[in-house]
Amino acid sequence: MQTEPEQTLIEGRGLARNFPQRRGLLGQARDVWALRDVNLTIARGETVGVVGESGCGKSTLGRIMLGLDEPTTGTVDFDGRDLFALSGPERRKLARRMQMVFQDPFGSLDPRRSVGAQIADGLRTHDIVPANEIPTEVARLAQQVGLSHDAINRRPHEFSGGQRQRIAIARALATRPDFIVADEPVSALDVSIQAQVVNLLMDLRRDLNLAMLFISHDLHVVRHLCNRIVVMYLGRIVEEGPADKVFGSPAHPYTRALLESTPSMKPTGRDLGDRVLPGELPSPMNPPSGCAFRTRCPLAEPACAQAVPPLDPQGPGWRAACIKAGPVKPAIPEPA
Amino acid sequence: MTGAQRRLILPASIATFIAVLVLLAPFLPLADVRAMDVPGRFSPPSAEHWLGQDEFGRDVMSRLIWGGRASLFIAIGSALAAAVIGTTLGLLGGFFRGLVEIITVRASEVILCLPPLLLALLVVTILGAGTWPLILALTLLYTPNYARVVYAATLQVRSLDYVTAQTAMGTHPMQILVRTVLPNILPPLLVQMSLVVASAMVIESGLSFLGLGVVPPTPSWGLMIRAARGAMEQQWLLLLWPSLALAGTILTFNLLCDRLQIALDPRGITGSGALWLRRGHDGPPKSAAPAPKIAKSDALLQVEDMSISLAKGSKDIELVRNVSFTVMPGETRAIVGESGSGKTLSALALTGLLPDVLSVSGGRALLRTRADETVDLTRLDEAALRALRGGELSMVFQDASAALNPVLRLGEQLGEVIKAHNDMDDGAVAERVVALLRQVGMPDPEQRVRAYPHELSGGQRQRAMIAVAVANDPRLLIADEPTTALDPTIQAQILKLFQTLKEATADMGLIFVTHDLAVVAEIADQVTVMYAGQVVEEGPVAEVFARPRHPYTAALIASVPEGGAERLVAIPGTVPVPAEMPKGCRFAPRCAHAIDACRRDIPDIERPAPGRRTRCIRWKEVT
Repeated sequence: MQTEPEQTLIEGRGLARNFPQRRGLLGQARDVWALRDVNLTIARGETVGVVGESGCGKSTLGRIMLGLDEPTTGTVDFDGRDLFALSGPERRKLARRMQMVFQDPFGSLDPRRSVGAQIADGLRTHDIVPANEIPTEVARLAQQVGLSHDAINRRPHEFSGGQRQRIAIARALATRPDFIVADEPVSALDVSIQAQVVNLLMDLRRDLNLAMLFISHDLHVVRHLCNRIVVMYLGRIVEEGPADKVFGSPAHPYTRALLESTPSMKPTGRDLGDRVLPGELPSPMNPPSGCAFRTRCPLAEPACAQAVPPLDPQGPGWRAACIKAGPVKPAIPEPA
Repeated sequence: MTGAQRRLILPASIATFIAVLVLLAPFLPLADVRAMDVPGRFSPPSAEHWLGQDEFGRDVMSRLIWGGRASLFIAIGSALAAAVIGTTLGLLGGFFRGLVEIITVRASEVILCLPPLLLALLVVTILGAGTWPLILALTLLYTPNYARVVYAATLQVRSLDYVTAQTAMGTHPMQILVRTVLPNILPPLLVQMSLVVASAMVIESGLSFLGLGVVPPTPSWGLMIRAARGAMEQQWLLLLWPSLALAGTILTFNLLCDRLQIALDPRGITGSGALWLRRGHDGPPKSAAPAPKIAKSDALLQVEDMSISLAKGSKDIELVRNVSFTVMPGETRAIVGESGSGKTLSALALTGLLPDVLSVSGGRALLRTRADETVDLTRLDEAALRALRGGELSMVFQDASAALNPVLRLGEQLGEVIKAHNDMDDGAVAERVVALLRQVGMPDPEQRVRAYPHELSGGQRQRAMIAVAVANDPRLLIADEPTTALDPTIQAQILKLFQTLKEATADMGLIFVTHDLAVVAEIADQVTVMYAGQVVEEGPVAEVFARPRHPYTAALIASVPEGGAERLVAIPGTVPVPAEMPKGCRFAPRCAHAIDACRRDIPDIERPAPGRRTRCIRWKEVT
């Protein structure tokens, strides 16, 4: 990949997001932290995958990195400018350089407007091309994501899920962004269509040198697409590092459990029962003390309840938040 | 022109007719509305006065048209003014929330505290009777209605992804409101509009009737009704005309708004009609279980050439065509395919739960019951199916939160299922419920009995639904994407639960419908691959995955991002829609190996090896 090495594009520091919840009519508001102490940097041209189960805060992280949601504490710098210190017009101007692709290809497009008009929105808002060139540019974008030319005048409901996701990607690309947050962009799609969209995202990343935050619960897709992986559990990053390290020899027991419980086309011969992680995600309203994962962790010991383990380095660019962290080869076979 | 647009013609032309009539009133050769002709008072319709003459001998038709001018102007004028103001307030309040909401929506709601007629009376009393004060009064009256409706609709729309996408794009909030939010809240706005116009006409009539609206001798429909009431015994027709005009206009307007709303819906969704108008489950005369004779086999379920069709107008569209598979006792058969492959429909057909518009149009599905009888599931009527459901076969759905009743406690739902097939006293039922919940791995079963579905996590709800499904030890369990909505660790738990259940009940057959090949590899013994409504390949899971004998299966396996391939193999194009199925092999348009012969005829099932089937004429060369 032809990226200038380690040129940070976007940096989130000390991010935390609280959604206080009130129980009952007069109950006291309780803190519910969707995100805590998250630091994340993304370099130009880099694809960072965020994995974790629902409720781990990965979507909240994506929205905050894009400036759509304001963190309770912490800052996000985009190209050296603090997103949440900007004025409204400046912030909207900066929005040209950052875009989002959503999970639900049926909800992310306005059902009442033609595909072309929606792709053209960004072009008009940010004056990307002169007004008379908009139709050509829309056609070019449609072609770039593999849509036929006659698609432009049709409405979203005439398209299948995979095609809609292409439209959404074309709309995001219209403003020529540097950074895209893709929140589960392929999980609503069929396997064969999913492969089309994953390939498209890989091509675009290569051709446009896009930085991407790819949020997904599908470990296979993330492993295929991403350079760097962030594993989250209950609002915190538990492991972060290069894709081959994190998936090849995960240091955190949660990453290992996640990998082992993911069904595989190549059965390992180990019984499913040995690989199943017991229990469920604890309630974020009442998180366990110390390491949040200790209630389900096979390695937990009393020390785990004492303090939240820090993210300790495991190797170059590779960190894990576990007092017993250490690279362990998982039982799933390495790709040939 | 679509059907929805055609249906607009009638109300639109009546509305246009009314509008033209009242607008052109000054130019029509109408009698003077004030010209009295006392000798001719109360005369019935005649050639000169088509609708007769009123209590002063004035021409009724002329007064009706001129009166409509006043009434409609007031009603539509105030409805539009209130719509503009109310929509603006509702949009702003719903989109920005917070302080803006208080000064827009909440402030306008103060008006709702006052009785509507009293408010109108107040305004009219202060400003004096007449057209403009009346419009002002009605506008004031109806603004909060619009504001509330629009506010609620805006709240729904603002959190949708396409609005967020506009925000992310840096579009100005006002532009988002006008361009994206407003068009998408139009449907409730139109309904509100039709209600308000109708109600404004009634109130205008009422106020004019009370002498507070239009001032006589200017005619209005309300005034005409008021005057005619006193003369009801002399000439009842005088009451009929304005009443007819009022009712007819209101009806036309309601119809127009309803149809406009349908025509503006981009998806063209039209109502499917009342429930009793649709075809019933036990509608077509199905002979009560004709006990078909088949070659005695050990199979638990034998589906043979089953087809499912959508009855649409005169021609049927076949959604599933000639599907065959068998399930042996204790066997797990996975049905795998993409959306539109017909896998879920095939499963639903077995339980008689197909949507009303679909029906099994061919083939049969033979189930061997506990009593060793063979029944054809496709020919049973609703009552016979009900007897089989739960006890002989049962189903687990994808979305447990939608499949469980939200207002019943878990114990009640489970107890209901048990009692449907067993005669037990309450104590025994309660014991069985707890035992069931324990069997499906529910934590704290004694406490969870009293829980409502929303109090459970996603994984627990799925466990609860599995408990409902296995409550009566079914011989055949059909699971439709039961783990698709779950997280990886929870999915693994549920898959493990299915394995445990199978080990516990050795004879139970399991049909596992899924799109996830990896899940198939984990759980199933046999796999049936479906594409575009047909079975394309079948065989033992390990063999099929190791050596697929159909190009579609091979491509599907290659498109899973597992393994180290630099690039995924994507299948180009999309699944064909049922109405436009390719003539020959349905996969041919997307197949890399298709030749002319593939496009000619639907390929027959071939058997590459014992227990294997494929629907490909080139399997020897290409796989």
